[in-house]
Amino acid sequence: MTDLALGKSLPADRAQLMRWLQDYGVYAGVTALLLFNVVFTENFVSGENFRTQAVQVAPVLIVALGMALAIGSEGVDLSVGSVMALATSLVSLYLGYGPWLALIAAIIGGMVCGLLSGSLIAYIGVQPIVATLALMVGCRGLANVFLPQLETVRDDTMATLGTGDILGIPYLALIAAALAALVAFTVKRTTFGRQLLAIGDSRPAAQLAGLPVRRVLIMVYVCSGALAAIAGFLATARLQASDPTSLGNLMELSAITAVVVGGTPLSGGRVRIGGTVAGAILIQLLTATLIKHDLPSSATQIAQAVVIVLAVYAARERGKQ
Amino acid sequence: MKPHARRTTARSLVAVGLAASLALAAGCAKSEDDASDTSKDSGKSQDAGQEVAEGGSGKTCAIGDYGAKKLDLKKATVGFSQSEKEANPFRIAETASIKDEAKKRGVKLLTANAQSKPDKQISDVQDLISKGADLLVIAPLNSDGWDPVIKSASAKKIPIVTIDRKINATACKDYVSFIGSDFTEQGKRAADQMIEATGGKGEVAILLGAPGNNVTTERTKGFTDRVKEKAPGLKVVFKQTGEFVREKGQSVTEQLIQSKPDISAIYAENDEMGLGAVNALKGAGKKAGDVKIVTVDGTKDAVEGIVDGWISGVVESNPRFGPLAFKTLDEFTQGKPVGQDIVIKDTEYNKDNAEAGLSKAY
Repeated sequence: MTDLALGKSLPADRAQLMRWLQDYGVYAGVTALLLFNVVFTENFVSGENFRTQAVQVAPVLIVALGMALAIGSEGVDLSVGSVMALATSLVSLYLGYGPWLALIAAIIGGMVCGLLSGSLIAYIGVQPIVATLALMVGCRGLANVFLPQLETVRDDTMATLGTGDILGIPYLALIAAALAALVAFTVKRTTFGRQLLAIGDSRPAAQLAGLPVRRVLIMVYVCSGALAAIAGFLATARLQASDPTSLGNLMELSAITAVVVGGTPLSGGRVRIGGTVAGAILIQLLTATLIKHDLPSSATQIAQAVVIVLAVYAARERGKQ
Repeated sequence: MKPHARRTTARSLVAVGLAASLALAAGCAKSEDDASDTSKDSGKSQDAGQEVAEGGSGKTCAIGDYGAKKLDLKKATVGFSQSEKEANPFRIAETASIKDEAKKRGVKLLTANAQSKPDKQISDVQDLISKGADLLVIAPLNSDGWDPVIKSASAKKIPIVTIDRKINATACKDYVSFIGSDFTEQGKRAADQMIEATGGKGEVAILLGAPGNNVTTERTKGFTDRVKEKAPGLKVVFKQTGEFVREKGQSVTEQLIQSKPDISAIYAENDEMGLGAVNALKGAGKKAGDVKIVTVDGTKDAVEGIVDGWISGVVESNPRFGPLAFKTLDEFTQGKPVGQDIVIKDTEYNKDNAEAGLSKAY
């Protein structure tokens, strides 16, 4: 049992166990998977392998950060995968003006999407799941209009960004870590973060307390859109191609899984960035383990489903208290 | 907050949103035109249509057997139902080829695209019939579920030719003929190329296509059967899906070369996944030719990959159905018997013909 590794917080009774599972289960899961791979997977312990996992997890992690904010405000953002696709198509359109301008165009595109879904949610009162579903369909379509098919991206800066490293740590992992720190700081230390949590806890109460509920909600989705766009840009750099048709497909599910498994409750009012990071790593390790042992892809899906059910079960038990 | 002020801000925000989406939409209109232009160009640059290969069932179908009436193709209206969005080279080349041939022959063409939705394709075809299509060319998304179409088409005795995928129905009764590649054969030929590239020894990984797709099943079966039969020294040690997508092909290959650094070859069931594998190998510091890659499709990017030395061979899956589809319809409507099962000849690319073949690749 790897649980013993975290012995100091080992639970006494059932309710406590569930609470513990929600708070620390994800770290125990990551530890268990790491140990399993160290023992049973060929060539697992190598710098190159850890770099591979870090590079692959980076886009999912960045998207999950935005998703954590949306879920913390008692919402959800289903449009993230399509925003990645929109971002990659904008990158391809604007790359002629240089990679940084292309990045800015992509981020603006993502922010406009967030502004639209945020406005629908905050002002028109549309359910987040419906508003972002509309954007999910719309952005994918728009991405395909901007760029009808996969296009190879030939740019040295982007190639370096996607494949290079500093002192053995890939740029992609560094950027993801920096963004995670930034979002964690925002949630913990800024007024915006506290307002977001208050709104997620109880929107009517936040409204009565005179918090700028609408502005904060819109900001949440604008942030999520911007983060998804950055993820789309980085995924483009890694692939060295813009693929508007399949980039980001089912990304919303991976991101929601990372957030929920990481202990952020779907009922809002709480955002756990450390848990989200660990949640994304957990899913990455799970996928990698199954691929390395050459199990069919259906096994990956089933394994992910089991992890989600466990996470949601732990959260539900905690809610009962 | 005053209710009035709130409404004003709400309105202005919605207005901003609408303005933004309009601006975006205006931006698209242009790029959409550009896109169709380029796809037309790629349609023109291809000269070679398809050739019929040996094989198929050998049965033929004549107009009397089907119960249709003779007509002059030049004065007829042909309806074309495409299955997937023209977002990949295969579909782009396929649609362009049908459109070009219709233009060349002066035939009126109606087109529809099912956007990967089976129910939409059924209603697309029914729409084409009600808009007055005398003949139908269908690129089916699925093999099943065609009964409603067949009912409305056979009531009017409209000849149907299906391309690239078959439908589960009776040839010469429910439809006239099927024109397409033999995917199992493509897998076998990929195995032949792989055996040549590796000398028939070593460990090979397979990047499978989308699960549950007959193209995946047949390309896998053809490959593994032929390898077992001809080169028992070549072992398939790894089989993972890359879902026909470049990004997935890259991610899976990255995992593969970490856990099996000595892998000698990769068979990718389409070009996109093969190109993803090339990215992964480059990222891992391998050199061109260290790991032999064989793919299926014949897109420009993959044939360029052969020229660069990263890919050993590509088996073509020819998407240019236009000339052969219209020739079949023409002969059939004149009263000549046509084949029920027309298997096309796919070429292949290797280091000897890649540079010359680059202009033919799509």
